[in-house]
Amino acid sequence: MDDEVDFVETIVSRLRSKGLEAEGVYRGKEAIDLVDDKEFDVCILDVKMPGMDGIETLRELKKKKPHMEVIMLTGHGSVESGIKGLQLGAYNYVMKPVPFADLLQQMVQAYERKVIEEERMRVAESDQAPETR
Amino acid sequence: MSNSPDRISYKDVKPHVTTVLISVVGCVLWLADELIFALLALGLALVSFFNTKALLNRIEKTNQQRRLLEEEFRRAQKLSTVDELSAGIAHEINNPLGIIAQEAQWMQHILQSSALREVKEAADCDESLREITSQVDRCKEIVNKLLSLARDLEPVIQGVDLNDLVENIAALVEKEVRARNIEVVRDLYPNMPLVYTDPPLLRQVILNLLVNATHAIERDGTIRIASTVDNDCAHITVEDTGCGISKEDLNRIFTPFFSTKPQGKGSGLGLAICRGIVERLGGYISVSSDVGKCTNFTIHLPIKRPPKGANQHVHTTQDTDR
Repeated sequence: MDDEVDFVETIVSRLRSKGLEAEGVYRGKEAIDLVDDKEFDVCILDVKMPGMDGIETLRELKKKKPHMEVIMLTGHGSVESGIKGLQLGAYNYVMKPVPFADLLQQMVQAYERKVIEEERMRVAESDQAPETR
Repeated sequence: MSNSPDRISYKDVKPHVTTVLISVVGCVLWLADELIFALLALGLALVSFFNTKALLNRIEKTNQQRRLLEEEFRRAQKLSTVDELSAGIAHEINNPLGIIAQEAQWMQHILQSSALREVKEAADCDESLREITSQVDRCKEIVNKLLSLARDLEPVIQGVDLNDLVENIAALVEKEVRARNIEVVRDLYPNMPLVYTDPPLLRQVILNLLVNATHAIERDGTIRIASTVDNDCAHITVEDTGCGISKEDLNRIFTPFFSTKPQGKGSGLGLAICRGIVERLGGYISVSSDVGKCTNFTIHLPIKRPPKGANQHVHTTQDTDR
């Protein structure tokens, strides 16, 4: 998600060429609406966007989909918003320009984290399940 | 020879001289003997004195260490209790806060009634009630911050390239401080093994330390970020050439809500959260400082995270002491 249309389209097409399902949006509000309809594993989120800014979008996304991993992107590098983003649960905070290979590696690591957390939750739930006769 | 009584011959005094001589020699010998004895005794006393002093020093040092360990143990116990209590306390406080807010809103509503609306003081009351609601919101914010300190953030462990992680954060900070002529120097261990830790949590800590370093240096300075490894431990150091931290403050900087920043700037929760996170990762943070010269924070992390419960090393020491 980024307000730079070209950037979003490039990333989406490259992800699809790797066999990954990807969707691109250009506004925070669009992202929040999109996650209501579809499940996503990882979100790439630009910090500075018109309308709802990246941190607010992150906050809303985490409320709706706490297990979706989010990687913050920034071209301007505000350190304070970096801390805020990480505190709100972002996986990483990356400065543009970032080589696609590096971004993909971050996404893979973020996805691994999601898998570990979901497995942990599944185990915890099955531990708590009462025995039935 | 005359036997005149006026003439005393040597023969007459010889026996007396001999006696006197013998006595004098005897005295001297006796004195020497006593002196040697006294010197020996003094020597022994001095040796005993210094030995005892050394022993007492060692006892004092051991006592100090024991007190430190007890303090650590109490703190660890307290922290885990604080963790457990904080969530409970936070929820307990949220209830009355909610009621206060509700009652204030209800009173505002009543003030809107036709009977009271025209009363002169109604506007003042409304203003006060608005202030009450705003302060209640502030309290809720503080409670949320406390909850975030206590929240059970069980780390999600992944193998991570620590140098990569550090470099990304350093690049972020470097861009921002370039305008203040602050240099960010990297000193990264060349053969860093994969470290098993929680990357986003660790990023928070390192970023926090770096931001503190940038605040300590107003302009014209250096921040050095280094990584090293020894045995099974990875060390990440953030060192700055800033204003430093006084000895009195050094003992308190990890305390929740303690802050050296001016009132209203920063809640002082940063370092407390950092320490909590690093301890959850199985490690610890150390700090040293020279006022006016430099400050050094170092994060020490196990390369392979110990199993849950094993990082309470104070328990182990106490057990082996028994």
